[in-house]
Amino acid sequence: MSQGGEPAAARPDALVRLFHVSKSYQAGSWALRDVSLELRKGEFCFLTGPSGAGKTTLMRLMFGAEQPSEGQILVLGRNVGRLSRGGIPALRRRIGVVFQDFKLLPRRTVEENVAVTLEVVGTPARQARSRVFAMLKRVGLQHRRHHYPRALSGGEQQRVAIARALVNEPEVLLADEPTGNLDPELTVEIMDLIADVASRGTAVFVATHDHSLVSRYGRRVVRLEGGHIAEDAPPRRTRP
Amino acid sequence: MSAWLSQVRLALRAAASGLRASLATSAVAAVTIAVTLVLVGAFGLLVVNMERLLDRFGEDLRVSAFLVEGLDADAQEALRARATEAPGVLSVELVTEEQALDRFRRSRVSRAALLEGLEDNPLPASLEIALVPERRSREGLALLIQALEAIPGIAELGYGHEWVEGYARALSLVRGLATLLGAVLIVASLLIVTGTIRLAVYARREEIQILELVGAGYAFVVAPFLIEGLVQGMAGGTLALGVLFGLYQVLVPTLRGSIEVLLGDVQPAFFDLAGSLWIVLGGAALGMLGSAAALIRGPDR
Ligand SMILES: Nc1ncnc2c1ncn2[C@@H]1O[C@H](COP(=O)(O)OP(=O)(O)O)[C@@H](O)[C@H]1O
Ligand SMILES: [Mg+2]
Repeated sequence: MSQGGEPAAARPDALVRLFHVSKSYQAGSWALRDVSLELRKGEFCFLTGPSGAGKTTLMRLMFGAEQPSEGQILVLGRNVGRLSRGGIPALRRRIGVVFQDFKLLPRRTVEENVAVTLEVVGTPARQARSRVFAMLKRVGLQHRRHHYPRALSGGEQQRVAIARALVNEPEVLLADEPTGNLDPELTVEIMDLIADVASRGTAVFVATHDHSLVSRYGRRVVRLEGGHIAEDAPPRRTRP
Repeated sequence: MSAWLSQVRLALRAAASGLRASLATSAVAAVTIAVTLVLVGAFGLLVVNMERLLDRFGEDLRVSAFLVEGLDADAQEALRARATEAPGVLSVELVTEEQALDRFRRSRVSRAALLEGLEDNPLPASLEIALVPERRSREGLALLIQALEAIPGIAELGYGHEWVEGYARALSLVRGLATLLGAVLIVASLLIVTGTIRLAVYARREEIQILELVGAGYAFVVAPFLIEGLVQGMAGGTLALGVLFGLYQVLVPTLRGSIEVLLGDVQPAFFDLAGSLWIVLGGAALGMLGSAAALIRGPDR
């Protein structure tokens, strides 16, 4: 709906805006080609498409892990392509990221893994401890807080990763195939958790190639194909 | 607790767990630094002690001006007065023929028997000339010698000049060698520390990546590695100091003979507190520099 939108026409509550973004890793081939889209506060959007369509690339551009070859990316009002060296960490403190492979610190407990997000921003230890505890309770892992990641199931590990992403109350949550390694029951558990985040006002992007997941939730769907946006479908009005 | 302090605490905690995780490579780095500092420190001790001997020599630097024979007391006194005018002279003492003989007889090294059979006193009268402290150098001595040589009535000059020059040359050779060896060793140990920190960074690249994903800045990521380098360096420096002290305790009594050749009657001395501190600080600096060099490219993103 906002494809090709210009800055002037942008919605005021858009937290993420891409204008004609292209990304090429090698000359002559485009991982992303002329992608424009917006994501508003509290919006939950699936990013779908076959493997190699550019979903991961799009997410990496949004948290400053890659620079666009063309176009502009605005996240939380910052032009990601023009951030200084210190600007990217500052931006990432306001974005939560979740990956298929959890990316937990193996030598730290569940509690310490979640606390990392707060340590980086310098939250006082006492305050951090209570926020970590509250967050672990929200994902149902408060009883596991002294365990190490290897003692946890995949679903539990992903809940820890989500807790880490959310504990500093990010304005944007980016989840790249968050349920890719999980059984179907756990997938629902994790997706419900993520959907809940959007209902609290965070803009959420979930990349997945799992169609059943997309149809189950009936949210907005941006479908990528060969680096292009093939479809940007609004949410079905049937959601609970 | 202030935010700044809690960041320091976190960096220390991360450094401690990093050191625990890579105990073997950290130990290698510390020992490398220790070996470097033991060698540099041993040369340092030699130089310091040789310098002390030179200083000591400067303190009792005296020129003996031997007078021609057959001068009466007035003429000797006149020469003494003239010598006092020479540049850089602190004091001039006249030693008459009789006093010279007396001193010789009482001196430890004399073989008084040698003189017993002699009718005449073979020793000349002399002027013992002391220099003002600021002239107790090669140049100051040369100026004085020049002035004294121009005085008729002075037959010969005696001073430890040549010996001092030789010793000073030996000292500057030792110093040069120490500097060269030190530079080579320091570069080598820096490379090794850099290597171990690189390994540590590599071993923890996933941890670094995760920290950066949640918004850790460069300082937050890098500080633990700098602390690890610092700890390795201080451990190496302390170890080196201990080894040097042990070697000193063992070697000084065993090598007393050679040391006397080198230092004469100057007692050898170990580093004082400041010198010891420099060894440990030198280790700390090596460790920090080594890890800084490893981090210059920045942690891999
Ligand atoms: N670091 C990279 N270097 C080169 N090519 C890459 C890199 N990352 C992704 N690509 C290419 O970009 C395209 C999009 O990949 P990706 O964004 O990972 O897709 P998806 O996440 O949808 O599977 C693919 O053709 C992939 O081969
Ligand atoms: Mg992908």
